Amino acid sequence: MNNLRNFSIIAHIDHGKSTLADRILEMTGMVRKTSMDQMLDSMDLERERGITIKAKSVRIPYKSADGNEYILNLIDTPGHVDFSYEVSRSLKACEGAVLLVDATQGVEAQTIANANLALDAGLKIIPVINKIDLPNAMLDDCSLQLYTMLGLGIEDILHVSAKDGRGVAELLEAIVERIPPPFGSASDPLKCLIFDSFYDPYRGVIPHLRVFSGHIASGDRIMLKSSEKIFEIEEVGYFSLGLARSEHVQAGEVGYAVALIRDAGEIHVGDTIVSADHPEVPAIPGFRMSQPMVYCGVYPIITSDYAKLGAALEKFKLNDSSVVFEKENSAALGYGYRMGFLGMLHMEIALERLKREYEQDIIATMPSVIYRVFLKDGEVLMLDNPSKFPPEGEIDHIEEPIIRTRIIVPSDYVGPCMELSDAKRGVLVGIEHPDDRRAILVYDLPLSEMITDFYDRLKSVSRGYASMDYEMNGYRAGDLVKVDILVNNGAVDALSYIAPKEGAAVRGRALIHKLSKTIPKHLFKIPLQAAIGSQVIAREDIFPRRKDVLAKCYGGDITRKRKLLEKQKEGKKKMKMVGFVEVPQEAFLSLMKIED
Amino acid sequence: MPGLYVHIPFCISKCYYCDFYSVVVVPELLDRYIDALLAEADSYNGGDFDTLYIGGGTPSLLGSKRLEELVNGLSRRFNFERIQEATIEVNPESAGRDFLATAYSLNIRRVSIGAQSLNAEELRKAGRVHDRRQVLDAVDAASGSGFTNISADVMIGLPGQTAQSLASTLDILVGAGIKHISAYCLSIEEGTAFFRCPPADLPGEDDQACLFESAVDFLRAHGFTHYEISNFALPGSECLHNLNYWRGGAYIGLGPAAASHTGGMRFKNAPCLERYLNAPLSTREEEERLDDGRKAGEEAMLRLRLIEEGLDLGEMAGKYDQGAVESLKVRLDGLVSRQMLVADGHIFRLPPARIFTSNSVFVDVIS
Repeated sequence: MNNLRNFSIIAHIDHGKSTLADRILEMTGMVRKTSMDQMLDSMDLERERGITIKAKSVRIPYKSADGNEYILNLIDTPGHVDFSYEVSRSLKACEGAVLLVDATQGVEAQTIANANLALDAGLKIIPVINKIDLPNAMLDDCSLQLYTMLGLGIEDILHVSAKDGRGVAELLEAIVERIPPPFGSASDPLKCLIFDSFYDPYRGVIPHLRVFSGHIASGDRIMLKSSEKIFEIEEVGYFSLGLARSEHVQAGEVGYAVALIRDAGEIHVGDTIVSADHPEVPAIPGFRMSQPMVYCGVYPIITSDYAKLGAALEKFKLNDSSVVFEKENSAALGYGYRMGFLGMLHMEIALERLKREYEQDIIATMPSVIYRVFLKDGEVLMLDNPSKFPPEGEIDHIEEPIIRTRIIVPSDYVGPCMELSDAKRGVLVGIEHPDDRRAILVYDLPLSEMITDFYDRLKSVSRGYASMDYEMNGYRAGDLVKVDILVNNGAVDALSYIAPKEGAAVRGRALIHKLSKTIPKHLFKIPLQAAIGSQVIAREDIFPRRKDVLAKCYGGDITRKRKLLEKQKEGKKKMKMVGFVEVPQEAFLSLMKIED
Repeated sequence: MPGLYVHIPFCISKCYYCDFYSVVVVPELLDRYIDALLAEADSYNGGDFDTLYIGGGTPSLLGSKRLEELVNGLSRRFNFERIQEATIEVNPESAGRDFLATAYSLNIRRVSIGAQSLNAEELRKAGRVHDRRQVLDAVDAASGSGFTNISADVMIGLPGQTAQSLASTLDILVGAGIKHISAYCLSIEEGTAFFRCPPADLPGEDDQACLFESAVDFLRAHGFTHYEISNFALPGSECLHNLNYWRGGAYIGLGPAAASHTGGMRFKNAPCLERYLNAPLSTREEEERLDDGRKAGEEAMLRLRLIEEGLDLGEMAGKYDQGAVESLKVRLDGLVSRQMLVADGHIFRLPPARIFTSNSVFVDVIS
């Protein structure tokens, strides 16, 4: 066990985590040097967005400079705030973490958040400044930030270029020298942590495990602590670049287990696996069920595709057990589903995967948070769908979820960032000045503001320099009202939203204006209205289309004309019929794109 | 009634709105081009045609001698005995009396003048290289050469165009004895100068619709039939060659970018003069043979462009299989119930109110 090292790489987004992982795999001979970038990110979407969605691990044999042989388990972690619980569980499986900082960017909000998670998990941190090959690398500044903001020793900092490989050999040496080997006895009763899982259509849900004590082998009967369900192990093994079957996985090691677990809902990240013979072994602390924060309606564009969408969601959930969904019925959109996600990024990725990988033509409605609605009769409702809100007269007051956000911003942009946070109903909790060039603003902010456009706006007012991270911080009462949107004189439940009463009219007008530009002209006039109860707060009309393109139809090129019409028809298929009006997807998300 | 189309892809310069295939004329290439066209014609091993249409580009840039070579060369390869209509397109700046007289002597009896406008500002802003005077001279030259069937192209929605300037253009053309007007709405297409640099005073969609309506009213009042969405004619002066396109007929196109429809198959030549000159027989692309269902949808879309004639479902039943016609009928009936088409027995037509918004009808006709 002394030659085992379990570690993660943690970093702010785009600081080069995946590139470093690739370089490590290459320099240890796991993969040949290829032009194929970023081995660990296997989903197309991940590569496109440059982020790692699902954590993955790999077991790397490594011969150190002094000739000793080691096994390095590199446990990849998702790099986004939506997945901070998943990150914390992955870190729990490690003894050390490589904290990567982009030499041109310095310490950012997620650097701090991730470093704190690693410290909480009691990990040994190796601070590493990456991208030293870039001409604008600021090595001294970064070192100072690591010291002042995170208390890390300057003499411990390594310099690497994941891109050209400089410093990576030294980093590998530091990993075996500085990170302690795992401890725990293989002869004690079994205790292991589930830190990830994936779904195999033939073998069911396959959990990723870190064994803390005992060992696990095929034929063992195991028990999940959270549900006390018992399964029999069919196969165990390690992560090579694929799955490598082995006789057993024992204390200190990382591996997988196949137990024919058909229902993805059985396996929860953070849960503890023990031997069915020793159910008394305590669970590893810190487990919680993943908790959706953001909800939206998902409807098939063609109403009759409802069953097909349901089947796709069932399949999708096998791959991503953190989404939740239930049937929902909208007067405007027909039958569909209400889906819950860990956060906005998670939502965007899940919806995109539904469209691409599961080939669903869907319309997603405006995302919503979960409101606590206190009724006058004393009842309290938890509502994630504005269209389900009771009439205003029955509501005593409404509470909304609050996040505590930590924004790191250069001093020059503190003003605009504070203005933005104030405008988004933020309450300033504190300002820290880690050095003379940057400030950390701590705000309590409604989550609903975060899921509209806060992050985009923050980036824009700070010219891209601000970074942020957040955590949930309870509920707070707000002066909130439900705004209804009427299209062609009919209320469209899927467009209604909850908004602060103050400024509701201004926002309503901006939304109606946006909608008037998003919904295409029809052959008839379409009135658009925003209303609070029976009071109309904004109105605009979409005037009828008087002409569509009278494309020339001579010269005999009929094929071109027909193809244009077919393309137009395809475009129509991407829109949802609401009454007699064709409404494109963008319209349902207009609220997120309004400039105040 | 098969038609023969011959494309002459040369222009003096490219107009700002034009996305048809044309290149700036290189005089040295013209002879080679005639040879290439005749070589492509050879590949068809003869054929009977009812209409001939020499379009462009600017066919009048060929000059008399080459036009003679071309038409005589074609008539040696194809049977022109039954030709009912032969048209040549000309642009005002190159439509000299000599050229038009030559055309007439070659049994070309219809001339289509690319006028676009008679307003000096509109012509200039559209990148036309002629002025108003040259249009009228071309009409005179055509009449003087014996042509009685003269057509003019007019653009709707040119930068700075108003109902008055459009009415004035139409008034002068009709007064000069023009019997056929093709009135095309300007659309900004990718790859054109207007696309790269849209003019500020371009009439909007609604203005364009108003301009078009005013043109319809004017021409109707002067005895023209609005026989196709963009085409108007005095009775008996409809363009037979184009009618054949809209009735789903067969035709062969010669030259780069020219499209053909023969034996149920559609294809076109690549829009590349150089390739065509080097190998006129081997630039064919985008061949497609549609199944009956889609073919019937396509022909229905074309025939509905014929505002008065309309689409006769009985005629379709003779051409396409039962399933295709039945499914078309379901779509047509649906459109009738939404007032997007009118039915008169088995004949379907676009109602006047839908002419400007016919695309949204056609989208549901094709499939």
